[in-house]
Parts: sequence; C-alpha cells; structure tokens
Amino acid sequence: MVVESTPGFETQDLLINVGPQHPSTHGVFRMVLEVDGEIVKDLVPHIGYLHRGAEKLCENNDFRQGVGYMDRTEYLASHNAELSYVMAVEALAELEVPERAQWIRMILCELNRLSSHFMFLGAFGVDVGVFGTPFIYAWREREAIIDLFEEISGDRMMYAYFRAGGLAWEVPGNFEERVREVLVSTRQGMKDFDNLLTRNEIFLARTKNVGIISAEDAVELGMSGPTLRASGVSLDIRKAEPYMYYDQIDFDVPVGTNGDVFDRYLVRLKEMEQSVHIIEQCLARLDDGPIMPERMPRMLRLPEDQEIYVRTEAPRGEYGIYLVSKGGNKPWRLKVRSACLSNLQALKKMSVGQYVADAIIILGSIDIVLSEVDR
Amino acid sequence: MRGIVKSLATTMSTFIRGPVTRGYPSKHRELPERDRAFPLLLWDKDIDEPFCTGCHACERACPVECMTVLMKDNPSHESQDGNSKRRKIVDEFWIDYGRCMRCNICVEVCNFEAIAMNNTWSGHETSVYDRSDLVMDLPQLMAQSKSDEIQEWVAD
Amino acid sequence: MSNGIYGIEIAWLDAVIRLHIIVGLMTVVVMGLIYVERKILARFQQRLGPTRTGPAGLLQSVADGLKLVGKEDLRPRNADPWTFELAPYMVFIPVFLGFVIVPFAFGMQVRILELGLIYFVATSSLGIIGWVMAGWGSDNRYAMIGGMRAAAQGISYELPLVLSLISVAMVSESYNLNDIVLSQSTYPNLLWQPLVLVIFIIAGLAELNRTPFDIPVGESEVVGGPFVEYSGIRWSFFFLAEYAALFIMGLIFAAVFMGGWAWPLGEELGRGWQILLVTIKTSLFIFLVFWIRASVPRLRIDQLMSFSWKILLPLAFLQVLINGAVLVYEAPLWILTITGMLGIVVLVRLIERAVRPQPVTNESTVSIGNESVS
Ligand code: SF4
Ligand code: SF4
Repeated sequence: MVVESTPGFETQDLLINVGPQHPSTHGVFRMVLEVDGEIVKDLVPHIGYLHRGAEKLCENNDFRQGVGYMDRTEYLASHNAELSYVMAVEALAELEVPERAQWIRMILCELNRLSSHFMFLGAFGVDVGVFGTPFIYAWREREAIIDLFEEISGDRMMYAYFRAGGLAWEVPGNFEERVREVLVSTRQGMKDFDNLLTRNEIFLARTKNVGIISAEDAVELGMSGPTLRASGVSLDIRKAEPYMYYDQIDFDVPVGTNGDVFDRYLVRLKEMEQSVHIIEQCLARLDDGPIMPERMPRMLRLPEDQEIYVRTEAPRGEYGIYLVSKGGNKPWRLKVRSACLSNLQALKKMSVGQYVADAIIILGSIDIVLSEVDR
Repeated sequence: MRGIVKSLATTMSTFIRGPVTRGYPSKHRELPERDRAFPLLLWDKDIDEPFCTGCHACERACPVECMTVLMKDNPSHESQDGNSKRRKIVDEFWIDYGRCMRCNICVEVCNFEAIAMNNTWSGHETSVYDRSDLVMDLPQLMAQSKSDEIQEWVAD
Repeated sequence: MSNGIYGIEIAWLDAVIRLHIIVGLMTVVVMGLIYVERKILARFQQRLGPTRTGPAGLLQSVADGLKLVGKEDLRPRNADPWTFELAPYMVFIPVFLGFVIVPFAFGMQVRILELGLIYFVATSSLGIIGWVMAGWGSDNRYAMIGGMRAAAQGISYELPLVLSLISVAMVSESYNLNDIVLSQSTYPNLLWQPLVLVIFIIAGLAELNRTPFDIPVGESEVVGGPFVEYSGIRWSFFFLAEYAALFIMGLIFAAVFMGGWAWPLGEELGRGWQILLVTIKTSLFIFLVFWIRASVPRLRIDQLMSFSWKILLPLAFLQVLINGAVLVYEAPLWILTITGMLGIVVLVRLIERAVRPQPVTNESTVSIGNESVS
C-alpha cells in the first residue's frame, strides 16, 4: 500500500521480532517481520539456535553410537530419523535385514508418523487460536503412542532402538494387542480433531487461501512431505522409491489442490488415516523370526571408499542421509538432508502480503522441528 | 455456524469424558520394565560384591564418554582365600548423569551383566541444584541394586 | 440537616457504602471466576486444572494474587511513565463504574438510573482508552499492535452491542434496568428478541476480548498484546478488570434477556431466591463464554471488522427497524419472535457464505493444480 504522506509527516514500516522465545515459533526459531499496519511486507528468518553439530559428532562415533545422535536430530519422529541412518549403513555393509525386523520397523515408523502429526495438529490448533484444547487432545493420543514406544524401547523420545541390521531387542510379547489398542484411541483422537477443526467456520476463514504456495514454487524450493503434497504434487517416497516393504502395502497418498494452510492441515489428517491403514496391514503380515541377521560382526565395519544417499519419508518430508565411508567403523562424512530446512525456505514466499496473524499459522503449517533444521 | 456448533459439541463430549491427565508428582504412572532412566551398577548378592570387574568395555563404548572406571585386584578372590571368582574388580566408578544420553550401549556391551538401566521413578526424578551432584560414584550407583529397589531388565 | 451526617447527604453515603460492598464482593467473585474458569477449561480439555493449592486447588487464585502482589512492578526504561502507569486504572475503573446500575435482586443495586443501559454502554466503552494507553505507553511493538487492535475492535463492536441493547429497551419500553427486569416477569425478552440475543453474545464476546475475538491479546501472535510489559499488581488490575467485565456482562445478560430476578417465578420471591436466580442466569452466560473459549479458533483482524460492519451491524439495525414498526402499529409481539428466528437463519447463512473460499487474487501464487513428479 502506498501512503501519500503529507509533508513533514512520514509513515514507517514496523519491524517486529518474533522469537526465538515466542509461544508459537515451535522451538527456537526467530523471524523478523516488517509490517505495514497488519500486513507483512518482508520476513527474515533466523535459524541456528539449536545447532549441536550432530553430523560432525557422528563422524567420531561408530554405527551403534550414531543411532543415538540421529534421535536427537528429529525428536518428534526419532524412529524415522534412525531408519534413514541404519538403512544407509545397511546398504553400504550389505546387510540383509530379517523380515520380522522390517515389519516392526514399519509399524514403529508409521506410529511415529501418527504421533508426530498429532503434535502438528495440536500445535497448529493453538497457533490458530483455540485455547489449548487441540494441544491436550493431541497429547492425549501422542501419550498413548509414546507409552507404547516406552514399553518397546524403554524411552519416550530418544528410542535408540533400530540398529544396523535390525532391532536392538525383541518387542514385548503383547506387542500386537498393544498396537491395536493404540490404534483404537488414535482413531478417536483423529475424529475429535476432525470434529473440532475441519468444519469450524472460523478455522476455515483463517486457513483457506492463506499462505498459498504453487506446485512449481514448492518443487523449486525443494519442499517435500505433506507440505509439498498440499500444493498438489504427489510425491511420496514410500510410493516413488519404495523402501522396506512399502511396495507390498496398499495405501493412498493424500494430495491437496490449493497449497494453502488448510490443505496442509487436511493432507496431514488424511495421511494419518493412511498410516493407521498401513499399520493394520503390517500387523497382519507380522511373523515370528529373528530380528537381527544371522552373522552380525561384533563391530560393524564398512568397506572403503563408498558413499550413499538414502532417503525416507519422514513425517515432515524427505529425511535423507548422505554417508561417505573410508573404511573403519565410523562414517567419514555424514550429512543429514533435513526436510524442515527446505520446507522453511518457503516461509517468506508464503507469508509476504499476508496478515501478521497469518504469518504465525503459516509457520505452524510448515510444521518445523528446529532440532532438525539446525541439527 | 454449524461447524462451530460441532466444535462446541466436541469439547462438550470431552467435558463429559473426564480428565485423562494425572496429578503427576503425587500420582506416578507405573513404569514399564524396559524403562530406561540412567545406568546403575548391579550388586552380586551371593558373594557380596559388585558384578562389575572394571573391564572398561562400557567406558570405551559410551558415545558421550561420561563414564570413568578404575579397576583393582579383587581382595576376596579365591587366591586370596576369598569366595569370589573375579580376579579383578571395580575400584572406582563414576557416571556423569548430566552427560549420559541414556542410549543403553553400556548395558549392551557389558559381558558380566554388571550394569543395567534404572527402570524406577528414582531414575527420572534426579534434579539437583548443582551439576556436579549429577556425577555418581560407586556407592551411589550401587545403592539401588544393593537394597533391591530395582528389578533390572537386560535384553537377551 | 435531617438527611445528612457530618454534612454529607444520606443518599451519597448510602451509595458510597454500597459501592464499597460491591468492590469487596467483586474481588472475591473475580477470584472465584478465575478458579472456576481454570477448572472448567481444564475439564473441557480433559485436564485436571489446579489441584495443588488447597483442597482441589481452591486457593489457587489466592496464591496467584499473593504472587502478583509480591512481584516487582517493572516499567520498561523507554516506556512513557504516565501513560504506562495510569493505563491499568483506566481499564479498571470504567468496568467497576458499570456496577452502579446492575440489579442483583429487587432493590439490591447502587443506584437505579433512568438511562441505566446507556450508562452501562458508555462506561464499558471507556475501557478501550486504557487498552490503547497500555499499548502505546509500553514501548513494545507487540503491545502497540495489540493496543491498536483493541481500539479497532472496541469501536466496531460497540455499535452492535448498543443497538442490540436498544432494541431490547424498545420492547421493554425503558432504559431503566429495574423496569426492564420487571417488564419480563411473565415472558423474558429472549423470547421476543432471539436474533438480538445472538448479536449481544457475539458483540459481548468481542467487548470482553474473549475467544474468538481475543485478537488484541492473541497469545500465539502478540503474546498478550497491551499487557506484555506489565507485571505484578498492575498486571493483576487488567486481570481483575477482565473478569469483572465478564461478570458484569453476565449480569446484564441475565437482567436484559433472561428477566433477571423476576422471571420465571414472578417478582414476589424472597431475596435469597432472587439472588439464586440471577446467579444461575449469570453463570449460564459465563459458562457459555468459557465453553466457546475452549472450542473455537481466533478470527483475524480484518475478518473481525468485516463481520461486525457487514453482518452484525446491518442485522442489528434491521431488528431495531422491525421493533419500531411492530411497536408503533401495536402488532402482536410474536411477529418479533418469528422475524428474530429468521434473522438467526440469515446470520448463519451469511457466516457460511463468508467462509466460502474466495477466488485467489494474488496472481503470483495461483495454484497450477495436479502435477505429478516421481
Ligand atoms: S547409557 Fe549410553 S551415554 Fe549413558 S553411560 Fe551408558 S553408554 Fe554412556
Ligand atoms: S560395567 Fe560391565 S562393561 Fe562396564 S566396566 Fe563393569 S564389567 Fe566392564
């Protein structure tokens, strides 16, 4: 907006600093908004507050120890983060993962996708302005899933449960019943969210046609995951390059049309239904068997001069591991391709020209985990 | 408006369903046996000495290098007219809980099943006023196993 | 002089004493309200709410109050001292002035004013000045945005609120709250004015800065808006004012729409019953506010404005016109019920039309539809 100023009277754009300590920056993200009244004219994101050098640390740790660091790069979906890492190691070491281990991994990864998406729904609901209710709904269901993870791996967030070759130890005897129990409560939680938000007029008014990003822009910015699919690009690595046994599983990839905040919300909600569907199929296929390859060396060593890039579909998008080995029991170089970092690039494009309140929910709709952005 | 009414109905239904949270510090959830808090050393009740032989395996495998182990000759070894089969035994043992990332690797590498993760609430409620209080020494690491407070779970 | 003590007229003395009683009562009620809100919201969210202070957390508000009083009263260095420090009073005093006319039971009010409703509206809108002062004086950008939002919102929702009260006053043929209550001893006004009731609740929510109109304080955007920089006792003044305003709005709701102490059991009840009736009706409104707070998201400032000016205000005007016509030509009152119901239907339709996605205008972000990359 151009303001014709009377002589001697100037208007000035206001700079607002949001974060790193702000209720809705999802961690320690900071953005500086340049606003004209309520309209955002420019947005400068600042990242790096949570940088811990996880990749570098992994270069000094063997492949069992590295798993623990992978947990901490993506603390809302640790299983998915571990998966990429162990898959990279397995591919280089040419390890054959036993079938049972694969199915369990798939179940755990999908459960983790559920818990991560619940977290998104909760935080997003609060960003849009419901006073806390979505958050508690989300945590109610997430709690059930995390309790299950705790019974399996012993920890609630940093599972350190996947190992190159298979799993650290067997799942408890009542695993299948417990997963089914959790799925029941998960369905209830999804229904509650659907009823609470999806058709609420105020929610629709707030989210529809807000923060639109076109499919071309999304692809060009390297976005991935639900944030990309909401723009109408049907790219899901589980379908495009099936890993584990995703090719034997029947599931759909929900795709948005508009690329706005509402689509990003809906795509995630729909994706959760698919995850439940996947888990049910995996449970049906689960068989007895070993969880580690027969001949596992005590200390895993990789062949010399090899490199690999493995990507998997984490809840937030493509979680990739680039691993270079120069022999020995440690990676020579490890690089994490973080979905959040790429998705975050779109923030400015989506937010400029929108209202301040929209910038907040746009950030929420990208669903970033700062530990993954900064690593 | 109809959507808003639906939202109102949803919150009302959860109003009726009742709380799902617990009054945490006064009510504790039961922990699963695999729960991993922080590593503890185990006490061999038959011989009245620690299982740990101070072999340094865990110390070397720890990703964050938060353990320090010192080893000594076992005074109650059979050759010294004792009843123990352990020639060497742990002398001093420190674990810095402030650095430990609870990865379970020390438990996995120990050949003597001498170390286990604390799976009781005492392992989770460890706040202190000074970080150096988080460095546990041998008596502290052994106390829970000695007094039978933990039922350790070690993966097979 | 026979009607004075120490040269002060009895009437004034009486009013002062009543006002003091109300101030004392209010503080207790506000503390209770804060506790109740926390408990009810917690229940809506399947939480426990406060449990640790006293039995079932009953002393939570007392503990909060003590903490707030004990806290340091901070003022940012660059804040405008006068504006900053006066703002809490400017928010607080108008709210308490409103209590002058509120009828708790028959004969239980500070004063019966002939223009009671107008007086209420006039005082309650004064609070906006305090909000703007707080926003301006804190030298904080969140606070300033919040203050500006508060001003915009306050002004736009004042009108539907006034119009809704006026149209009720037309039916009751008085601005005097006592007469309004008495006129409802057989049928409450909500029967004749359903649309106005809805408008009153919506505008009331906006006036109270409650969800979905908590835009000035939007926790996830401007982090408390004008109150960002306040702490300690000054902050607690804002809080007190907020809940006192909620309470008074509930009382007005009970008196104007639900027949106060007179309906449904007639006006010859004992005082205890009257107070109970008013309490129940007020609680109804307050519970509704809490319930809405737990369930709906926040509107955006432009949506808020257009909702007020484009939907609520015309409908309120229309209702006033219809009221006039019906009353002047002495048509039966049930016509008002029907038109009111129709009005609600129109309101619902309008809201649903408003949220229908509009065509995208920003051309650089037009979606290109399905493109498959794999
Ligand atoms: S649990 Fe892991 S980090 Fe902790 S002491 Fe054992 S090996 Fe070290
Ligand atoms: S705990 Fe086990 S691995 Fe560690 S020093 Fe003792 S015996 Fe060795």
